[in-house]
Amino acid sequence: MRRAVRLFLPLTVVAATLVTAMIAAPPGFGVQAPNTMAETTAMLQKTAVIVALLAVWMIAAVTLTLLSGREIRYSSVEMRASALHCFALGLVAVTSFALTAIVFSYLIPYHVGLPLLFALGVFAILSKIYGLVAVFHAIGTLVAGSRTREQLQRRHWLRGDLAMVVIGVLVLGALRLIPIVGPIIWGFASVFGIGTALATKFGRREPWFLAYRLHLS
Amino acid sequence: MTEDACQRYLEDPEANAAHLQTCAGCRAVSAALAEKSDVEPAPIDINALPLAPWEGSSHRPWPLVLGITTVVIAVALALCDAAGLSPLHVAESSLTSMEAMRGLIDRATASLRSASIVWQIAFGVAFLIVNGLLIVLLRRSPRGMDA
Repeated sequence: MRRAVRLFLPLTVVAATLVTAMIAAPPGFGVQAPNTMAETTAMLQKTAVIVALLAVWMIAAVTLTLLSGREIRYSSVEMRASALHCFALGLVAVTSFALTAIVFSYLIPYHVGLPLLFALGVFAILSKIYGLVAVFHAIGTLVAGSRTREQLQRRHWLRGDLAMVVIGVLVLGALRLIPIVGPIIWGFASVFGIGTALATKFGRREPWFLAYRLHLS
Repeated sequence: MTEDACQRYLEDPEANAAHLQTCAGCRAVSAALAEKSDVEPAPIDINALPLAPWEGSSHRPWPLVLGITTVVIAVALALCDAAGLSPLHVAESSLTSMEAMRGLIDRATASLRSASIVWQIAFGVAFLIVNGLLIVLLRRSPRGMDA
């Protein structure tokens, strides 16, 4: 009962805040109901694209968790253990990707820029995909994860990495559907994800750089 | 007995076991240690320990996973059908956002090329600072619990 209150109280506060913001939003802010048929169609198309992309994310998340569940779990634990570091690293990494992309784009006339830009793009996309799946796992564990061993043993379905990832996709996907706030939340999750992917080296727990030790003998 | 013999016994009790018969001090120390080693360790209540992240993680609830995935795909297909969109259009829309990003980078590069040398140097300094900061942050080892 207390857990239910603990879960639903913040959700109620968030929902109330959103409703208040939507009512208080000035006209033309983009949250009002569609008036014409064209607006309704555009809104429906937008929602359809978002839900279709969510389905793709769901398939990608399930596949990646089946292939490397341990790594995803480790990254998820790291995100929950040092969230601020992951977020800071994600912000710096996204900025670095943008600046490096400009530098590589600058080098395109010298023939070396294009392959470097392609490699950077692939690395950034892989970081985002892996990191977002780790975010799904973290959110699923926070929302529906077992708190005690008894609770874990009682559960038949709502346990394991796969279930946590699926719940995370559902929760973040539902938030993504909220106008204006949704893309911002998704963007924050992406920054968190990229930071976590890089902080844990894609869950492999290896250092990025070799440590230099001075041998005095 | 001499202190040397006691020292040899303390360094290697098994090889110098005969020393115990001649030295009362070492015999007392040995007896005290034997008494201490007889103490049973406190029983550990497994259920009182916090849940480890890996416990139950390999469980795969296929009905839940397949059910939710099927529902999400069905809703997506129904919405696409209602909006008159094909899956190709959805793929195109995601590629359009990537093209927009590419256009943004191209515009930034063109601006950088036409900018003054001071701005180009400032950009280079910002590039070095951001990547230096990234390297510093990447050097920190992960702190999460053992997964």
